[in-house]
Amino acid sequence: MSLSDLSDVLKPVAEARGLPNAHYTSEEVFQAERKPLWFDTWAGICTASDVPEPGDARPVDFLGVPLFVLRGKDGVVRVFQNICRHRGMILVTEPRKIEGAIRCPYHSWCYSHEGRLVATPHVGGPGHNTHPEMKREEMGLMEVRAHVWMDVVFINLSGDAPAFEEQHAKLIDRWGEFDVPLYHGGADSTFTLICRTNWKLAVENYCESYHLPWVHPGLNSYSRLEDHYHIMEPEFSGQGTEVYRQIEDEDGMRFPDFPGLSEKWDTAGEYVTVTPNVLLGVQRDHVFAILLEPKGAGVTEEHIHLYYAVPEAPEGLRRKNAAQWRVVFEEDIGVVEGMQKARGAWGYDGGRFSPAMDGPTHHFHRWVAERLMRSEGALAAE
Amino acid sequence: MSRPAGEIEAGLLAAHGAGDGTALVGLYTEAAEAAGDVDRACFFLTHAYIFALEAGDARAGALYARLKAEGRES
Repeated sequence: MSLSDLSDVLKPVAEARGLPNAHYTSEEVFQAERKPLWFDTWAGICTASDVPEPGDARPVDFLGVPLFVLRGKDGVVRVFQNICRHRGMILVTEPRKIEGAIRCPYHSWCYSHEGRLVATPHVGGPGHNTHPEMKREEMGLMEVRAHVWMDVVFINLSGDAPAFEEQHAKLIDRWGEFDVPLYHGGADSTFTLICRTNWKLAVENYCESYHLPWVHPGLNSYSRLEDHYHIMEPEFSGQGTEVYRQIEDEDGMRFPDFPGLSEKWDTAGEYVTVTPNVLLGVQRDHVFAILLEPKGAGVTEEHIHLYYAVPEAPEGLRRKNAAQWRVVFEEDIGVVEGMQKARGAWGYDGGRFSPAMDGPTHHFHRWVAERLMRSEGALAAE
Repeated sequence: MSRPAGEIEAGLLAAHGAGDGTALVGLYTEAAEAAGDVDRACFFLTHAYIFALEAGDARAGALYARLKAEGRES
């Protein structure tokens, strides 16, 4: 099928239609999205806190591309394609500590933490570990371009996106005050939700505040619809609130604030999607990241991580905060799964966008449509 | 005085079964000492070296030097 007939999506918000059903339900479209929407840009694959110590490694299935993340002995987080350069064996199959070399379980070729091929046992015959035609310097691991920001490990698989700091300069600048140490809350501050929905519906729902009073009535008691504003920039979109209320425990204790925040953040909170798949939220006393991991056209895992201003934020309050966000995010599952089910409707035209309320959602649809059309040559390159 | 080959082999099988890389370094080195000829010795030294590399074991350096001295490493 052609993906290029998305001109209705690109119309002004008042006239535009949403993406067609196949963009949510078709495995063929899901595969076609991989390069333009994921590989050619910066996508989040895990957090640096997932590999906290030197030698910590974990495999990542990035839309079918096997990768592994390793924090080297030098403390640097690197991402490699999870394949031995010899016969193509998988190298890391579960999260584990790699004290020394990365040894392929097949013929024991070994790689350093920096990806250099350092040993090729018996490659020249039994007990002969070199061969003139087997040049180690040409067979290091295939490293993937990576960048850590807000503790999220972003990768650019194609290697040809602009530098992360360039591509996301506007958001880095907008949230410059949060460029301070972020302390992951630990095991009680991370959880995964499995949603029977296409990843884009999770993004769309996250971008808009329109649904808040209907889907999150508890949240709306203090985070009211009229206190929200839209955020729409080329590489991110979402919403902000002018009335963020801090969580408290029974004794009125709150989390400490991030240091040096300006007055704006006394009451503000902002929630944006860094396209394609990293949903971020910042507030005066904690931030969170949600990494969307598609498992096919109709299933998405949401990996949620909460961060604080101090290494040991109060445990009881941490647990209460995680529980509160879990309620909110689980309320969203009902709608994103409901929209997915409805995408089987015959003749649905992609729906419409409220010019007043759905700007950020349409903005994301445009991002998708433009990249897909450009990949098919149906739209001029940027 | 080296141990009988059968005893070393039993130790290797047990260490492989347990995934005990540190023990494998010692046992393969021991097998190399008992090998009798340089090719067999280098075969076992190679295994000792690989498991030392994987474990980040300090013995890797000396094992590499022995292999290199025999023209078996770059």
